[in-house]
Amino acid sequence: MKKQTILALAITAIIVAVSAEPAMAYVLLSPRRTWASTPISVRVYTAGNSTINDGDGGVTATVGAIKAWSVVSSATTNQRAVRGSAPSTIELNNNGKICTGSCLAATLTGYYSGSTIYDADVYTNTRYSYTSSRETDGCSGEFDMDGIMVHEVGHVIGIGHSNVAGATMYPTVSSCNINNRTLEADDRAAMTDLY
Amino acid sequence: MHRRLVIGTLLLVLALPLAASQFVPQDFDVVARESSFIVRGHVVDTYSAWDDAREVIYTYATVRVTRFFGEATGPDTLVVREVGGTVDGYTQEAIGFPAIRRGEQVVLFLSQWEDSGDYRIHAYNQGKYLVRERAGKEILVEDPVRQGEARLATPDRFHVEPLAETGLTIDEFASMVDEARAGGRTGKFTRVAQ
Repeated sequence: MKKQTILALAITAIIVAVSAEPAMAYVLLSPRRTWASTPISVRVYTAGNSTINDGDGGVTATVGAIKAWSVVSSATTNQRAVRGSAPSTIELNNNGKICTGSCLAATLTGYYSGSTIYDADVYTNTRYSYTSSRETDGCSGEFDMDGIMVHEVGHVIGIGHSNVAGATMYPTVSSCNINNRTLEADDRAAMTDLY
Repeated sequence: MHRRLVIGTLLLVLALPLAASQFVPQDFDVVARESSFIVRGHVVDTYSAWDDAREVIYTYATVRVTRFFGEATGPDTLVVREVGGTVDGYTQEAIGFPAIRRGEQVVLFLSQWEDSGDYRIHAYNQGKYLVRERAGKEILVEDPVRQGEARLATPDRFHVEPLAETGLTIDEFASMVDEARAGGRTGKFTRVAQ
């Protein structure tokens, strides 16, 4: 094979490798479902998590973090979650009697036979220790509340677990891992698919 | 024993550095010791209903028990209550939680709910296996379908691959449970929860 041919093949291979997009492998909840309109209102109950030392138990940090999903509008609320009825509410200090034991956080979502999500509330297991983006005392064995809630709100808007390692909707994360605070291309593709 | 250790070590390597975003993986020994009952059974019926406060839909599964693992034994039939289900056309799901369906052949780790004497699957997805038959032996496989996931309502949800290439036979599993509940360590068989 001529040198020029080898060089051309090598350059082609490099171009293909560099330009290749990561495989999109997001998974939507099934049956496919969305909220009736956007922005999707997600509220964070003002009673924060006592293990987070950032002034309000992670409430402000969570309100900010979940805005990573551009279809979400977030704010605090003095109302606890009302199951079966909007708005979607996050409780950082309450396991909802469903998220105990080895559960870190859980999203309980509801829909009728159509394709519209009527409610989705998020509960947190208070037996674990958490940190937030506003906490300044470092992280040791704690779980990042910002990242956990960005992941859970992905479920709130209708996304399941992704097969792409590194995506926010990938099903696993280690303690002190803050990567889930930001969305990856796979997560954004899922959101764009839905809304 | 060698195969068990290989499976255990492989799964430990997969599981240890990770904590699921919704669940923290537990060691098999812990799950086995914390469970009230560990049973092999057949889900003969299910129904769903709201709780008294009409806040949560639970699915109640009647499990006909064919075998108890470990020293604890109980009734031939147990009712397992899990979050999620459909009532009057409204479906409530806890995303990623284990789903339990009529007709399944299962091995379940069971513990009691904190607020009642009802049983639930202990440690979420780590407490449920599907039972398959291979070469005349029963093997355990991880249930790949959780609440909210795509294959939940499709017929192929029962066509799943074994947990590991060689699978784990139900007798190997029984030995591991005995060892764990006796206070020993079983070879660190641990699953990655989702």
